[in-house]
Amino acid sequence: MALIEIDNLHFSWTPGGPGVLAGISLQIAAGERIAILGANASGKSTLAQWIAGWLPTAAATAETGGLTVQGKAYGDHDAASRPGLAQFTGQVPMQQLSGFAFTVFDEIAFGPGNLGLPEAEIRARISDAIRICNLEALKDRDPFSLSGGEQQRLSIAAALAMQPEILVLDEPTSNFDPESRDALLDQIERLPAGLTIVLADASLTTALRLAARFVLLDAGRIIFDGAAAALLAHPRTAEIFGLPEIRLAAEYLQSAGLWPAGVPMPQSTGAAISVLRPLLAASGVSQ
Amino acid sequence: MSAPILDLRGAGFGYVSNARVLSNISFAIHPGEVVALVGRNGAGKSTMLRLLNGLLRPQEGQVLVQGADSAGMKVAEISRHIGTVFQAPEQQIFNASVESEIAFGPARMGLTPEEERARISDAADRCGLTEVMATHPLDLDAARRRFVALASVLACTPALILLDEAQRGLDRENRDRLGRIIRDESAQGRAVLLVCHDMDFVAAHAARVLALAEGHLIADLPVADFFADAAATRRASVEQPGIVELSLASLGEVALNARAYADRAAERLRKGKP
Amino acid sequence: MAAAKDKDREKTLLYVPGEGWLHRLNPLTRLTGLGLVAVAAFALPPAATIVIALVATLMGTVAGAGAVFLRRLTLTLGPLALALFVVHGMLMDHPNRFGFLGLDLSHDGLMYMVKILGRIAALLSGSLVFVTTTHPSALLKALDSHGFPPGVSYLIASPLLLLEPFTQRARAIREAQMARGLDLEGSFFARIRAFPALLLPLVTLALADIDHRAQVLDGRGFRARPRRTVLDAPKDSPRQRLARRVMLGLAPLLIVGAFFWH
Repeated sequence: MALIEIDNLHFSWTPGGPGVLAGISLQIAAGERIAILGANASGKSTLAQWIAGWLPTAAATAETGGLTVQGKAYGDHDAASRPGLAQFTGQVPMQQLSGFAFTVFDEIAFGPGNLGLPEAEIRARISDAIRICNLEALKDRDPFSLSGGEQQRLSIAAALAMQPEILVLDEPTSNFDPESRDALLDQIERLPAGLTIVLADASLTTALRLAARFVLLDAGRIIFDGAAAALLAHPRTAEIFGLPEIRLAAEYLQSAGLWPAGVPMPQSTGAAISVLRPLLAASGVSQ
Repeated sequence: MSAPILDLRGAGFGYVSNARVLSNISFAIHPGEVVALVGRNGAGKSTMLRLLNGLLRPQEGQVLVQGADSAGMKVAEISRHIGTVFQAPEQQIFNASVESEIAFGPARMGLTPEEERARISDAADRCGLTEVMATHPLDLDAARRRFVALASVLACTPALILLDEAQRGLDRENRDRLGRIIRDESAQGRAVLLVCHDMDFVAAHAARVLALAEGHLIADLPVADFFADAAATRRASVEQPGIVELSLASLGEVALNARAYADRAAERLRKGKP
Repeated sequence: MAAAKDKDREKTLLYVPGEGWLHRLNPLTRLTGLGLVAVAAFALPPAATIVIALVATLMGTVAGAGAVFLRRLTLTLGPLALALFVVHGMLMDHPNRFGFLGLDLSHDGLMYMVKILGRIAALLSGSLVFVTTTHPSALLKALDSHGFPPGVSYLIASPLLLLEPFTQRARAIREAQMARGLDLEGSFFARIRAFPALLLPLVTLALADIDHRAQVLDGRGFRARPRRTVLDAPKDSPRQRLARRVMLGLAPLLIVGAFFWH
């Protein structure tokens, strides 16, 4: 049995409104790292909320179909065990803070404390989360005074302290500059191996770095589910994300008959340089 | 050259009990220009943006807006010449429909009803919002919300538009749409300033780069020259776009897009062939 | 800059860090003491309230918060004393009038002034003892570890923590609307007209925040169990428990006593 099973899920935010998810069927096994990709408004963020158990709510329910985690709907698990199933980290770091804790340490302690766990276990969970998310130096700071990148690390640490089966990240780096983005991605890459990670993102770069399986959403439907190479070869991928300029340059040269036969199209700048530098140097008209 | 829309002469600013956030900044922006403002977080970009749209006034030097010293102008007056699209459109949206949100600016400009309607429908059309005019802006997805904020600025036809990370999180279709709007503004003799971390977007759309580091303007260069300047890109903490890296490594010069690179490379490869 | 922000919060809290015996008391003991002072301020005669105020100020000063006491007491009691002196001592038609330095004063009016000032001084200095020696997080932990429902401590913590982000956002909205031509520097009526453009985004965003935060709290198991586990709960002792019971027992006696007194 897969950890998450979604069966023909149809969903819209308002009854009779535009369909946001139009028949999603998806299975996610424990330990997978899966990226949900798509254009703006393709439904990826909504699907991420379903997977994390933030949907359905009393006001927004499935039209047909549904989602089970470990064989049951989220609503059928009791309130104290749900936090251990899935945790969600969204786009706006400050919104993830509980508003209950005056220090980073207490923010992480908040969740396990709510579950009434024994003190020794809570301390062990906190120190694990602090180590994994590299928060040692910040543990006495006021959570609201941290930078966005630091707050996002804290929100992941607080999620990890609940020891969830699944961590859902909804465009976790979309509001950051390149430096903080890379730091956070390094952090996410180092998360425990057994943790199931679901990443919803509009950036191909982030997804390629973190995930092994890719689901492409288009107007609320899954149009691709597979590995990186096949994703990049899929015609809609180029249309939705645009191809990197280096890839386009290689294609122009190929169509002019100037790209060496049998060499695959480059996926990275480094790959393009390693093909084109020797080629141009050999042409003799060099700088 | 025509008179500048914006002219900074030795402008500087520091918050109370703090060192100077910006020191001795001088540059001008002329009609038709597309300029990128780059630099790492904390380099002074947001303070600069506030100096340009009048939310802050320089404590030393001058900021001239259409030739007049901004010190004597209200923010509302400056906003007729300089429009700003902020990072979080939710912070400026308050009307109950996309149409009334876009109409907010033109309604206070003393236009004829026909002119006003034409402005609104033109801005909505360029931003791809024609079909959602009756929708509440906050019921739209994040990308279209950003375009509502942009349309409400476009409808006021300011001489200069400041775009703060407007490309962030947009898919290809929406990036192309934003790119078209920037080109059209420039073609109509208006100017655009992009505050932007995304160097692919800068390479594709800007003609000139202003780089900030620790509150100083460390470079004011045509975009190709900026990317070729290793010291400046490093100080501004800027990643070179892949195509620039490729062209520098294989051609020894800067190409800003795939087409330009492929043309130069093809020319050399054909010449080199026996 | 981030450290400076931490400092800002400390300042708005009035909390003064310390290690003295007052700081080491369980926050609930200080809270009960504050409750007793509040009752006493209304029940006891002026002479006693003044003694309470003096003792509280002395305790606060010993605990290291002398500067806070001086500033707050002067700022509150100074103008109040002046106003009471003028209104009740001179202007109002109280009996027992006498002349002093050329002023026509009323003895009863001045006694009334002392009574009011004594009450306010006792209440204020008692509250200051509490807030200068009690960090809110310690109070939260004390409440939680004594089995108060988690909702109670959340009501204390969240306003203190969320006020600053809320203020920041209000400023951002103001800037965004000014930059799109909203006239906030013009006439009074122009500002009134501009009000919805400031208020609506603030309310909409606050509601979205509340919605989101409710999900965050659920996700972190808030109220999933009737009691929380509290780490580093403030120490308590049998003597403090006894002291709290005595204080709680004294309060009704004071109230009953006040009926006989007045």
